Amino acid sequence: MSTAEDLPVLGAPVDRVDGPLKVTGQAPYPSDVDLPGQAHAALVQSTIAAGRITDLDTTEAEKAPGVLAVLTHHTVPRLPRGPMTSLGVSPPAPLQDDRIRHHGQHVALVVAESREQATAAARLVRVEYAPADPVLDFDDPRAVSVDDPWGLDSHRGDVDAGLASADVTVDAVYTTPDNTNNPLGLFSTLAAWEGERLTVYDATQWPAMVRETLAEVFGVPEVSVRVLSPFLGGGFGAGLRAWPHVILAVQAARDVGRPVKLVLTRPQMFTSVGHRPKGVQRVRLGATADATLVAIEHHSTSLLAVEDDDYEPFAAGSAVAYACPHVVTADRQVRANVPAPVSMRAPAHAQGNFALESAMDELACALDVDPLELRLRNHADVHPALGLPWSSNALRECYAVGAERFGWSRRPARPRSRRDGHWLVGQGMAGVSYPWYQAPSLARVTVTADGGATVASSGMDIGTGTYTVLTQLCAHLLGLPLEQVRSDLGDSDLPEAPQAGGSGLTSALGSAVADACERLLGALLELVRDDPESPLHGSDPEDVVAAGGGLRRRGDPGRGETYAAILARHGRPQLGADGASTPAQPTELGMALAGAFGAHFAEVRVDEDLGLVRVSRVTTVIDGGRILNEKTARSQVIGGVIGGIGMAVFEDTITDPTTGRIANATFGDYLVPVHADVPDLDVTFVGEPDRASALGVKGVGEVGLVGVAAAIANAVHHATGVRVRSLPITLDALL
Amino acid sequence: MTSTPDVPPAPPQSDPGAAEITTAFTVNGTPRTVGADTRVTLLDALRDRLGLTGTKKGCDQGACGACTVHVDGRRVLACLMLAAQCDGREVTTIEGLSREGRPHPMQDAFVRHDGFQCGYCTPGQIMSAVALLREGRAGTDEDIREFMSGNLCRCAAYPNVVAAIKDVAREGGDHAHL
Ligand code: FES
Ligand code: FES
Repeated sequence: MSTAEDLPVLGAPVDRVDGPLKVTGQAPYPSDVDLPGQAHAALVQSTIAAGRITDLDTTEAEKAPGVLAVLTHHTVPRLPRGPMTSLGVSPPAPLQDDRIRHHGQHVALVVAESREQATAAARLVRVEYAPADPVLDFDDPRAVSVDDPWGLDSHRGDVDAGLASADVTVDAVYTTPDNTNNPLGLFSTLAAWEGERLTVYDATQWPAMVRETLAEVFGVPEVSVRVLSPFLGGGFGAGLRAWPHVILAVQAARDVGRPVKLVLTRPQMFTSVGHRPKGVQRVRLGATADATLVAIEHHSTSLLAVEDDDYEPFAAGSAVAYACPHVVTADRQVRANVPAPVSMRAPAHAQGNFALESAMDELACALDVDPLELRLRNHADVHPALGLPWSSNALRECYAVGAERFGWSRRPARPRSRRDGHWLVGQGMAGVSYPWYQAPSLARVTVTADGGATVASSGMDIGTGTYTVLTQLCAHLLGLPLEQVRSDLGDSDLPEAPQAGGSGLTSALGSAVADACERLLGALLELVRDDPESPLHGSDPEDVVAAGGGLRRRGDPGRGETYAAILARHGRPQLGADGASTPAQPTELGMALAGAFGAHFAEVRVDEDLGLVRVSRVTTVIDGGRILNEKTARSQVIGGVIGGIGMAVFEDTITDPTTGRIANATFGDYLVPVHADVPDLDVTFVGEPDRASALGVKGVGEVGLVGVAAAIANAVHHATGVRVRSLPITLDALL
Repeated sequence: MTSTPDVPPAPPQSDPGAAEITTAFTVNGTPRTVGADTRVTLLDALRDRLGLTGTKKGCDQGACGACTVHVDGRRVLACLMLAAQCDGREVTTIEGLSREGRPHPMQDAFVRHDGFQCGYCTPGQIMSAVALLREGRAGTDEDIREFMSGNLCRCAAYPNVVAAIKDVAREGGDHAHL
C-alpha cells in the first residue's frame, strides 16, 4: 500500500500547533516547573581565572536563614566525567578539586528554602585563592594548542603551486570575537530523586544525552533517569551539553533529599553554558585573470577551554565551497583559562564563512569582476572533494533569484559611489554552502481509540517548529486532520532522537516518523485484510490508502473505515509502531550529501561623520530542500539573518585581558539586535527535495545566519571603501 | 589573596530583607494577598507565590522585557518592581489578557504571523504590544520598532512581531478588549 501518493499538503504555512500555549503563557518552560517541597539553589563562582582555592569558609552561609546545605569541593563526592558525545568529551564534573580553570567557574552551591535566601547566603561564602597568571589569549607562549582537533583538515592539489600560478592573490587575516549564545530563557534545572529514580526538568536541546550523562555520573541505570525539556527558551547551542550546574543541581537534590531548583542568572549565562569562541583566520586565495580560483588556503586558530572540547573547525567549510584544484584548510585550537565554548548557531561556519566570503569579495575587487560573477564562475557543480554530484544543489538559483529580488544588477561597481545625505550606501553579498549533518533517530506513532494519532520522541522543539512539522507530517501520512494529531516531545522516556542542533533534527526525526507511520499502516492493514467484517477485507495492499481518518480503497473513498472503527472492532485501545531513520551514506548513494545552500544580499548605510552602520535591507534566498512548513522555516531563516546582523555589527563578549573576567555579562552591556535594528527582510526558498533524504528535507536552522556577516562587511566596504576584517564592525573602524 | 564572590556586598544578618510584608493587590481582576520577604520582586511574586508563570524572567535586571506586565494599565518590568510596591494596585499578566475564554486579538495575531519561535519572550512582547496600542504608538512601522525595542527576542522573530502588531492596529486594536 502507499502511505502517500505524494506529499502535497506538506509545506503549507500552517500556524504553530504550540502557538496557543506560547501566546497565553501556558507553555511550561523548565524554569516554570515547581515541585512540592522543592528547595532553591544559588551558585558561587570564582573571581580568578586560574589558580587554586586555598580556603573556602561556608560557616556564615550555613548559619544564614533557610540554608539547607552548601556544596563545595569538600562535600561533593568524586564524580566521573560524563560520556563522550558527538561534540567531544563531556564538561568536567563540578567541584571535584581546588583548581580554578576560568573566571566564573562554580566553586560552591548554596541550597535554601527560598530563592532569596539562597542568593543572600551565596554572598556569605568566603573564598580565598592562590591565583596563578591565567592564559587568556592565542599568543601566550604557555598556551597548549591542539592541531586538527576534529580530523577535518584537508589538502587537495598543491596550494603553493596554485598560488604561484595565480595572476591575482589575496592574503588577509580576519578576526571574530567571542559571542555569547544568550538564549532569552535563563537556563534552569529542577532535579528530584525518588530513591534511585531521578527526574530532571532541564533546559536542554538534547534530553537523551543528558539522561545518559546523569546515569553515568550518578551511577544509576539509564532507565531510572528521566529528563524533560518539552519547551525551551532558546538555546542556539547552549543546550547541547550536560553542564556542570546541571550535575550540581542533581547532586544537591540527592544531598538534601528534596527537589532542588537552580536557575542561572543572566551574568552566569555568560560563563556557564558556553559561547562562540573567538578566532583568528588567515585566508590566501589565488585566481587567474579570468577569475578562476586556483588556490584556497584557510588557516584558523580559536580558543578552547583548558579541559574541554568544542566543535569549531572554522576552515573546514572552505574545502567544499568552490571548485578549486589546490586547497588547504587547517584548524587549530588553543587552550586558555576561559569558560568553555560551545556550538553557537552555525558553529565554525559562522566564523569560517565570514573569512572566506570576505576574502572572495577582496578577490573580486582585485580582479575587477563583480563579486557575484566571481562566485558563479567558481561554482562547485560537483562536490569539490568527493567529485560526486550533490544530492541537491540550487545555489545557482539562490544567486539568481536573490540578485533579481535585490536589484543587484543596478549596483555600481566602484565603492563609495552612492550616498543619501550624510549616509554612504553600499551593497554586498555572500554565498553559503552549509554542511550536511544527520544522526540516527527513533520515533513512535500511535493511533488511539478516538481515531487520532500521537507522535512520540525524546527530540525537542527549541522553537524551530518541530512540534508543528511532525504533526503535519503524521497528519498527512495517516490521512488525518491536523487537530487529530498530537506530538509529545522533549521527554527522554520517549523513543530516542538526536539533539535539536546541527540543522539535522527535522530530517532525522521526520524520517523516523514517516517510517513509523508506514509500519503502523502496515499493521492496520493486516488487521483489516484478514477481517471479514472490514470493508477492506481481502484488499490488495496496493489498493489501500490512508485518507479521511482511516484506511480507504484507492479511488473509492466510500469504501473504507476509520482508525477508530478498526481499533474498536478489534478491542484495542490503541495501536502503535516504532520507526527509525539512519543517516544516508554518500558512497552507497553515489552522491555527495548536501546541506542547505544560500545567498545573502545586504545593503548598509554608514554615517559618513559618525561611522554608524545601519543595515537597511537584506535579501536571502535559501535552498533547504523540501520545506515542511514555509511559515516556521521562514521564521528560522529570519532568526538566522538577524543573528548574523548581531554577529556583524553588535555582538562582542569582552574579557578583561588581565583578570579573565567577562566585562559585559548583562543584556545592558552585551548588545544583541533589538526591534529597531531590524530592517525589512526578504526571504525566499528555492530548490528541489533533496535526493538523499527520505523526506527530501535539508535543515534550515543555521544556514540563515551564515554569510550575513560577510555580506554586511562587504557592503560596508562598498559603501565606504574601508575593508573591515574584524567583527563586530563598530564605528571606530570606520572613522 | 582573599577575594569575595563576584556579587554585591553581603547584607548584614539583621537584613530587613528577611522581614515579611503582606501585599494586597488585584491580579487579573482577582484580589490577591501575598505575604513575602520584602526583597521579593513583583516578577517572583507572580511566578513563585501566585503560580502565574506566564510572565518570564530573562535577565532580572530590567534589560530584556520578558517580564513585562501591566500595573494600573501601564507596562512595567516586573523584575524591577518589588511586590510590596504593588499594594492596592491592579496588575495584569499574560494570563489575564483573554476575555470570556477568548484570546486577545494580539495573541491571535502573534500566532497567525508566527511572531515567536521559542516563545519565551512572547508574553512580554504581547503585553508590550497591547500597551503600545493603548499608548497610540503603533502608527508606523518605525514607531512600533522603536517602542517595542525594550523587548528582546533572541530567536529574532522581530519582523513577524511587527506584522502582528500592525495587523491588530489596522483592525482598530479592538478597543473594547483593551
Ligand atoms: S526579566 Fe525583567 S527585564 Fe529582563
Ligand atoms: S521567541 Fe525566542 S526569544 Fe523571542
